[in-house]
Amino acid sequence: MLTIDNLHARVGQQSILKGLNLQIKPGEVHAIMGPNGAGKSTLSYLLSGRDGYEVEGGSVQFMDDDLLEMEVEDRARHGLFLAFQYPVEIPGVSNMEFMKESVNAIREQRGEEPLSAAEFLKKAKEACKQVQLPLDFLKRGVNEGFSGGEKKRNEIMQMILLEPKLCILDESDSGLDIDALQVVASGVNSQRNSERSFLVITHYQRLLDYIKPDFVHILANGKIVKSGDASLALKVEKEGYAFLGIEATEEASS
Amino acid sequence: MSAWLQQALERSQANQDWLTPSRNRALAALQSTPWPSRRTEGWKYTSLSALEQLSAEAPAEQPLSEIPAIEGLDCLELVFLNGQLQSDLSTLQLPAGVRIDSMASLPPEQQVLATTQFANIKPERHLFGLVNDVLAQDIVFIQLDDGCHLPQPIRIVHQSTEGQQSHQRVLVRLGHKAKASLIEQFLGNQSSVTTAFTELDLAEDAELDHYRLALQSGQALHFGGCHFCLHHRAQLNSTLIGYGSALSRTDIDIIHNGEHAHAKLNAIYLLAESEHFDLHSTIEHAKPNGTTEENVRGIVGDKANAVFNGRIHIHRDAQKTLAELNNRNLLLSRRGQINTKPELEIYADDVQCAHGATVAEIEEQALYYLRSRGISRSQALIMLNFGFIQELVNQMPNQQLAAWLQPQLRARFKEMEVQ
Ligand SMILES: Nc1ncnc2c1ncn2[C@@H]1O[C@H](COP(=O)(O)OP(=O)(O)OP(=O)(O)O)[C@@H](O)[C@H]1O
Ligand SMILES: [Mg+2]
Repeated sequence: MLTIDNLHARVGQQSILKGLNLQIKPGEVHAIMGPNGAGKSTLSYLLSGRDGYEVEGGSVQFMDDDLLEMEVEDRARHGLFLAFQYPVEIPGVSNMEFMKESVNAIREQRGEEPLSAAEFLKKAKEACKQVQLPLDFLKRGVNEGFSGGEKKRNEIMQMILLEPKLCILDESDSGLDIDALQVVASGVNSQRNSERSFLVITHYQRLLDYIKPDFVHILANGKIVKSGDASLALKVEKEGYAFLGIEATEEASS
Repeated sequence: MSAWLQQALERSQANQDWLTPSRNRALAALQSTPWPSRRTEGWKYTSLSALEQLSAEAPAEQPLSEIPAIEGLDCLELVFLNGQLQSDLSTLQLPAGVRIDSMASLPPEQQVLATTQFANIKPERHLFGLVNDVLAQDIVFIQLDDGCHLPQPIRIVHQSTEGQQSHQRVLVRLGHKAKASLIEQFLGNQSSVTTAFTELDLAEDAELDHYRLALQSGQALHFGGCHFCLHHRAQLNSTLIGYGSALSRTDIDIIHNGEHAHAKLNAIYLLAESEHFDLHSTIEHAKPNGTTEENVRGIVGDKANAVFNGRIHIHRDAQKTLAELNNRNLLLSRRGQINTKPELEIYADDVQCAHGATVAEIEEQALYYLRSRGISRSQALIMLNFGFIQELVNQMPNQQLAAWLQPQLRARFKEMEVQ
């Protein structure tokens, strides 16, 4: 599904990813943890194709394509989805209009007919229920005035509607109350199948109680410094990152 | 005086009516006002030469094409064809608490009332307002009794046809605690001249939703104005939507004449081809504790021209005024032009008054967000550009009207994009 090989990237003058390797196979759930500023969001932006990141070396293969060569919208159309850590507000563009446009763009790529307004509405209502947002959130401007937790649920709703192949969730659990956390987690779990893969970025082991990962990676100082199974997350939760000697590495590099 | 005006005056029958004294005053003022040139204050960016080029011969009046209904909206309808009220197309059965009279049938005691309002809210400085004072024929006077809450909107449709010149005047008076919604709609794209002025008086605690839709393109020449007088705690929510047509000039005055009044004014213009749209707004805060929120947004395509002059005048006694004026423009073509100027005159010291005028830039973040969901860059730009107009449409209190307008505005915007 996704193969990241020795990826180096920088923002402006600052190198942020320094030789990152990661391989995700269809149906797998990978979790990434790591200290603030480690480069987790940078990795997710880079994969989704945001401007301003310069790849200095390495490669990313997404299914049959060289991901780094693709436009932002093409990555999405080929099945890559990023649930943002901080979704933007777009007043004036309704959530409904936005999602319909987006669903149909992706359907077109797959060679499917566009959904009619009525067909889309039906799907959107179901998705809305699934993440427990009231239906009037479809009519509101994209994320306009949504609370932090509502924005996160709105991201998961989009994920459900777009049926992507690879879902990257950047801290979809942060800022959520216990109930919302379960809503988001069960939204994600409902989408798990043998084809679809997940890359879950989180600071908290708690999320991984609900979304059971196959692999857990620690990203620090621009690299995956340790990989393991779900028990690695438990260890981090108990001991912090100190046991990996991360502080030492960061000091050494700065 | 302009040759056009000379002719228009000659053509109008000098009929004596109960408005004669007011009309004579306006005529005298007109005669002593030099006809505007580009050097005249308020006319710097708008030329009146198109008026002078009109043919003096009016072709035969065409029959009225059908007036399109606003889907899903049941209104009290008043239909004018070239300035004449069409009683067969208008609602004659009115609910209790509202009366609508046309000037010709106005009983004497109502005439007195109408005379106190006529040309008394609209300031004298509006040249075409004076023209309208002199020439307006079928004036309507709409009155809501104290406490009357009108369930349906009143919709006034002004249809003009090829070669015609019409002068329309509407007076509106909302009683104490009265509540109403008024839609003024202008139709007709062929070569024609319209002057259309509306004077509205909102008594204490009255509430008005007001819409002025001048979605005319083509050769129409439109000169209009809306002039509101707000008394104690009156509330106004007004939305103006215009296309340019060959020449369109609108003057808006909102006068806070009582304390704690609130005015919201949203204006939208979408200009294509070589259309010209000129909006001058003046908000007078004459009394303390008033609030004004004004948002003016436009998209200008091709060779079109937008002029916006937004004046806020806070009088010395108008302490604790809160006024905000925002103007955002989006230019789609290099040949288009936007001239915008906020004018704040503040004579009270304890007020909050802010203004901003920007030529909008699309936010990179929003563009990236849409693209990250598979939407192409060009489609995302269309959505974002139109979104900034839609934001104001969404604020319209009447959402049925908004739903009816949206596809039309969107289609208009798509056309502008294509050029
Ligand atoms: N545009 C930028 N200009 C300069 N530095 C940047 C820019 N964007 C990110 N960085 C830096 O890159 C580093 C990695 O940031 P990133 O957002 O990827 O961290 P993160 O691992 O997601 O952290 P968190 O857990 O706090 O979300 C940080 O030190 C950040 O300050
Ligand atoms: Mg982050």
